[in-house]
Amino acid sequence: MSRDVTQRPRRRPTRPRARPTRLQISQVISRVLIIAVLVMQVYPFLWLLLTSLREREDFAASNPFSIPTTFTLENFSRALDQGELLRNIANSVVITAGSCLLLVVCAMTGAYAITVLGFRFSGLVRGLFLLGIVVPVQVALVPLFLDYSRIGLLDTHLAVMIPLAGFALPMALYLFLAFYRYIPRELYEAASLDGAGPYRIFLRITMPMSWNTVVTVVMVNAIFIWNDFVFANTFILSEELKTIPLGLQNYIGAMGNTDWTATFAAVSITVTPLLLMFLLLNRAMIYGLESGASKG
Amino acid sequence: MLPSRSRLSVVLFLAPPLLLFGGGVLLPIIQSLVLSFFEWDGITRLEFVGLDNYRTLLRGDPVFWTSFANQLVYLAICLLLQVGGGLLVACLLLTILRGRETLKVLYLMPAVISTPAIALLFQRIYSFDPEGLVNTILSAVGLDSLARAWLSDVTTVLAAVSVPEGWRFLGLYTVILYAALLAVPRELEEAAALDGARAWQAFTRIRFPHIMPVFITTLIMATTYALRGFDVPFLLTNGGPGQASELVTTYMYKTAFTSGHYGYASTISVFIVLECLVAVGLILLVLRRKTD
Repeated sequence: MSRDVTQRPRRRPTRPRARPTRLQISQVISRVLIIAVLVMQVYPFLWLLLTSLREREDFAASNPFSIPTTFTLENFSRALDQGELLRNIANSVVITAGSCLLLVVCAMTGAYAITVLGFRFSGLVRGLFLLGIVVPVQVALVPLFLDYSRIGLLDTHLAVMIPLAGFALPMALYLFLAFYRYIPRELYEAASLDGAGPYRIFLRITMPMSWNTVVTVVMVNAIFIWNDFVFANTFILSEELKTIPLGLQNYIGAMGNTDWTATFAAVSITVTPLLLMFLLLNRAMIYGLESGASKG
Repeated sequence: MLPSRSRLSVVLFLAPPLLLFGGGVLLPIIQSLVLSFFEWDGITRLEFVGLDNYRTLLRGDPVFWTSFANQLVYLAICLLLQVGGGLLVACLLLTILRGRETLKVLYLMPAVISTPAIALLFQRIYSFDPEGLVNTILSAVGLDSLARAWLSDVTTVLAAVSVPEGWRFLGLYTVILYAALLAVPRELEEAAALDGARAWQAFTRIRFPHIMPVFITTLIMATTYALRGFDVPFLLTNGGPGQASELVTTYMYKTAFTSGHYGYASTISVFIVLECLVAVGLILLVLRRKTD
């Protein structure tokens, strides 16, 4: 049924009354489906927020999926007491900022060297980086764990930042490569005639022009880096360095007597900043996703 | 090519990405490959065992094959929800005129939530006692008999750990495929409509072939992500009960960091890389040929 709905060319103002009944039926079906998917994608999150605002006894006693009658902020204070949420958030901020900085600097300079400067084996280097897009992160876990413990880098922020930025690099480099191709050659030639060297051209022309791409790359990757679980779980051992995903894990383990409302309050605290940022800056992220895939 | 460039400048600009990528990605891959020929518990001396690890993997390890079969089911469910669902939702978005941008953002919301949060959420959604969302809905529509502890039942656990992963990135693939569908030239569609093409024909003959390159990219993305899918099953069930939801990735993780067989774990991770490369090769081979 949904098939019929899907292929109608969008916007057909010229023939709205051609087959009125069929059009209406298919329109109703497509709207119902759109709303169903919307509920599926948004409801779990709303439920999470509502639950974090419920009283503990109310949640335990009545149907957990009913609309709560009373609200409280007490769960949030319990959540902050129980875990190390604030420290976890600080660690996540450090790791996300560090990884993004590393990623953007490397992607920018790499793309500049490959596209703008150019060298004999640039095609080969480009291919080498792009191959990294399909490499699964698991392959790096054991070797990096062993290398880190040998050079004393295990259980540091840097230990997580290196592979996070490294595995994100191919895609980010790709976005910068695509963008740098649009900067007109004449600009570089004119600057060269004025006596500007490669460093000055990078700082004065290429870098200032790439802020949009920087925002896109950071938005897309910040979310994945902020939420990283695999690398942090493998390379971080001590409580003091744990990031948000690891901190939340502490709540999962205690089954049976889980303080669900406080747990959900903790989840809400950790999700909200990222979600707000996403709702404000989603244009850049969506643009990055679209262009990243369509140029592939 | 910049006329004023010097060899030193090329090296300087290329050094940071090469160092990061070399140290964080390429070197570990090579090390994994080397380690996969050794037996090592991390403490005693490395012992060269040749192809023994590979022999064990292929012939003498039933857990590995169970986890491989599970990974394929996980892959199928993820592809169905992400690429199939994403394409359907993208098409649905084209049928409405207002609110598309807002819907795109709302559909993307689950992608922002971290995995442990998602695991906590689904643990509660699947739970039997206290009654979770799935069982509540089932009893509300009179299907009480189907209610169960979805994560401890060996027949449902694999699907139960796969669905959250498919669900959370549905919006991601919707956004990508929607952008591709928008780029289909209007004239092509109008010509098809004039020729009396039915809606379904217009889709299969015009729109779908036109978005084929992007579709291939999303298929590759979804496939490689599903083949390295790890955190949701790891957090929800840790492969259990028994090996009912063990994936190749969780098995590799346990082999290395719980059992301490670093050599054998490297063999499994080499297998994961090969698996991804073979999958990408197959997709390109089958779909590229079709488009030509």
